[in-house]
Amino acid sequence: MKWIDIKAGFWDFWNEFKRVRFGLSGIILLFIFIFVVLINSYIVPFPEASSRWRDITYWEDNPVSAPPVWINWFSSAKRAPSLIIEEHTFSEEKMGKIKLTKAVFEYEYPYDLPPLDVIFHGYAKGSPVIMLSIERPDGHIIELVRRPISKSDGKKVRVSIGKDSRIESYNFGAKYEKPESNRIEREMVKPTSVLFSEAKEGILVYPSPLKGTYKLIAEIILPGENDEVVDIYFTFSGGVSGWLGTDSSKRDIWSGIVAGVKWALLIGLLTAFTAVSIGVIYGVMSAYLGGWKDSLMQRIFELFIGVPLLPVLIVMSAIFKPNIWIMILMMSCFFWVGPVKTVRSMGLQIKEETYIEAAHAFGASSSRIIFKHMIPLLIPYSFASMALYVPSAIVYEASISLLGLGDSTIVTWGQILRDALTGGAVINGLWWWVIPPGLFIALMGMTFAFIGFAMDKILHPKLRTR
Amino acid sequence: MYWKYCIKRIVYGLAIFITLIFIFSALFNTTMESTLRSQIEEEIRGETLKLDTRMTPEEITRYISERREFKRHLYHLDKPIWSRIVWRAINVLSLDFGKATIMRSSSGESDVWTIIAECLPRTVLLFTTAIFINIILGLWLGLKKAQRAGGIMDKTTSIGTMIVYGMPSWWLGMLVIMFFAYTIKIFPSGGLHSVPPPTGFAYYIDLFYHMALPVLTLVLIGFWGSAFLIRNIVLGILQEDYIMAARTRGIPERKVLYGHAMRTAAPPIVTMALLSLLASVGGNIIFEGIFSWPGLGNLYWIAIEQNDIPVLMGNLFITTALYIGGLVILDLIYGFLDPRIKVGGRQ
Repeated sequence: MKWIDIKAGFWDFWNEFKRVRFGLSGIILLFIFIFVVLINSYIVPFPEASSRWRDITYWEDNPVSAPPVWINWFSSAKRAPSLIIEEHTFSEEKMGKIKLTKAVFEYEYPYDLPPLDVIFHGYAKGSPVIMLSIERPDGHIIELVRRPISKSDGKKVRVSIGKDSRIESYNFGAKYEKPESNRIEREMVKPTSVLFSEAKEGILVYPSPLKGTYKLIAEIILPGENDEVVDIYFTFSGGVSGWLGTDSSKRDIWSGIVAGVKWALLIGLLTAFTAVSIGVIYGVMSAYLGGWKDSLMQRIFELFIGVPLLPVLIVMSAIFKPNIWIMILMMSCFFWVGPVKTVRSMGLQIKEETYIEAAHAFGASSSRIIFKHMIPLLIPYSFASMALYVPSAIVYEASISLLGLGDSTIVTWGQILRDALTGGAVINGLWWWVIPPGLFIALMGMTFAFIGFAMDKILHPKLRTR
Repeated sequence: MYWKYCIKRIVYGLAIFITLIFIFSALFNTTMESTLRSQIEEEIRGETLKLDTRMTPEEITRYISERREFKRHLYHLDKPIWSRIVWRAINVLSLDFGKATIMRSSSGESDVWTIIAECLPRTVLLFTTAIFINIILGLWLGLKKAQRAGGIMDKTTSIGTMIVYGMPSWWLGMLVIMFFAYTIKIFPSGGLHSVPPPTGFAYYIDLFYHMALPVLTLVLIGFWGSAFLIRNIVLGILQEDYIMAARTRGIPERKVLYGHAMRTAAPPIVTMALLSLLASVGGNIIFEGIFSWPGLGNLYWIAIEQNDIPVLMGNLFITTALYIGGLVILDLIYGFLDPRIKVGGRQ
C-alpha cells in the first residue's frame, strides 16, 4: 500500500464520516480539548496548577471550599468574588533620611456578602514598616494593621487583614453597636464583615452591606537608603471563587480540571494506541502463522482474557507504586486482548485472498505480508476500536487514583475526585468539587465514544437501519 | 455430547486459573514474603514476652534464633525461590491465604479466607440484582429501538449510550449519594443494613432499602449499553431471510419479534448479560467502596488503606477465581443454548 492509497482511503473514509452527525460533534469536541491543552495557561487563573497542585503555599490566598462565581447569578445575596488588585496610585514623600510611600488601591464593592479576607502582598527589602488602612465610601478611615518588617532581603511579605486587624475592626464596630450587643465575643467578629458594612446599630451582629468604592491604603515607611517594598498588590479571597470554586485545601478547581485535560488525553490515547497496535499485530500474526503457533498464541490470549483487569491493576499499583508512565504500560499490557479475537477472524478471511497467495508465491516474507498486505486493511477497524478504548483507559486510571494509588506528581481528574471523597465533599454537599471532574471524564469518554461509534457505523453499515 | 464439552471447558478454565495463580505468586512474591517475615518477627516478639524471666540473655537470643529458624522452615522461607513460589501457589489453591496483618472478620478472626468468604455473597447479591434489572430494562428498550431503527427514539437513546459510555459508575454513585442521601435524605448513604439490624422479615426489607441506591446507580449506568447491544443483536437478526419469510407469510409482527427473532437472539443476549456481570467484577468493583457496601470491592479499599497485603492478595485470588468461573459458566450456557457449539466444539 502506497502513501497515495492511504490518502485516498482516508478521504473516502472522511467523506463518509462527515455524514454521521454525532461523529462530527465528537471530532469537534476532541479539537476543543486539544485547543484547551494548547492555551492552558491563558484560560486559568493559576497556570502552575499542574506542577504545584500539592504545594499549599501556592493556594494560600484562596478561600476554603468557596462555590463558583456564577452562583451569584442565581442567588439573591451576591457574594464578593475572589480578586487581585494590582492597579494603584503611588506617591512618595521624603522626610530627611526616611521615605514615606503611599499606595492607594480602589475596590468596587457592589455585593451583599463581604470577601472572607483581604491580603496585602509585596516583596520587602531592609526594615520597612507597613501600615494598612481603609477608606470607606461613608468617609470613615480605619487604621487596620501596622506591621514592622525586620531586616528582610527581598522576602515575600503577606499581611492578612482578616487575621491581623481583629481588634481595630471590632473597636470600629463597637462604637456604633448598642451596649448590650457589645458583649459579643471579639473573636466571633469577622473583620471584613465589619469593614464592608454600614456604620449603624447592628454592625457586629446583623451587618448590612455598605456598597460603593473603597480605598485600601498601604503606607510604607522606609527608614534606610536602599529599603523598598516592591510588587505590591491586594488579593481578596471571596465568598465565591473562580469558575468552578475551590476545594477544602483552597485549590482552584477550574485550574485543576484544565490541568487534567492533557493527562487524560495522554493516558487515554497512549494506552489505546499501544494496546490496539499490539492487539492487531498479535491477532494478524496468529491468523497468518496458523498451526501450532496459532494455538500457542491463542492459549496465551486466553490466559490474559481470564485476568480481572481492575483488581489486578489495583494490586499491582498498591505493590509497585508506579508512576504514570508505568501505569500506562501496565494498562496496555492488559488492554491489548480486546481487538485480538475480531482481528484474528478478519485475518483468517484476508489470508485466503488471492493477492496474499500471489505475494506468497513471489516469495514475500511473512513479516512483509503481515505488515504490508494485511495490517493496512485493518487500519479502519483499529482506529475505531482505539477510539473506544480511550474512555476505558481514562476510567481505569481514575479508578486507581480514586483508591489513592495514582501518581502524586501530576493532577488527574480521578485524583481530584479522590480528594473530594476524602475531603467530605459528598457529605457536605460541595457539588462544585464532585460534579466537574467526573463530568469531564464523562465528556472525554463521550467524545471518543462519538468518534468510535461513528466509525463503527461506517464499518458495519448493516446496523444502520432496517 | 454436552457433558463432554462441559468437562473439557471446566478443565480448561481450571488450567487457566492455576496458571494465573502461579504467575501472581511469582509476580508478588517479594512483597508477600516481606510481609510474612515481619509477621514471623511479630509472633516471636510475642513469644519472648511470655518467656521465663530467669533465662539468661544468651539463652533468650538462642531461643529467638531457634524459633526464627523453625518458623522460617514452617513457611518455607529457607527454600530456593522457585519452590517458595510453587508452595505459595499450592497454598492459595487450597484456599489457605495466611493471616491478615490488621483486618479482622466480623467474628474477630484474622484468617484471610474467613474475611473474604464473608464479603463474597454480598458482592454477588448486589451485582446480580443490578444486572438482572439492567437486562430487563435493556430488553424492553432495545427491542423498541430495533423495531424503529433510525427513528427518533433510537437516535436519542443511542446518544444516551454514548454519553454514559465513559462515565465512571462510582462518580455517579457519589452524585446519587449526595442527592438522595444528603440533600433530600430519603435513602441511607451506605452500608449493608441499619445498626442494629432488624430481625425477621424486616431484615430483608432493610437490606433492599440499603441496596436501592447502589443498584439504581448501576442500572442508570448500565442499561443504556445493554439496550444498545440488544438493539444491534436483534437488528442483525431482523435482517435475516427467515424473518422476511415469516413476515411474508403474514405472521403478526409481535410474533415475529418474540417468537422468531428473540429465539435466535437469546444466546448472544445471555452472553451479554453474563459478560456485563463479569465486566462489573473486572471494572466496577471498587464502586462498592463509595456506598460502603461491605463486599469484595470494599475489601480492596480497606486492605489498601490499612496496607494489609495478605487480604489484598487473597482478594485478588478470589476475584480471579470468580471471574474465570464466570467465563466458564458463560461458555457452558452458551453451548447449552446454541447447539452448533457443543456439536462442533472448537476446531
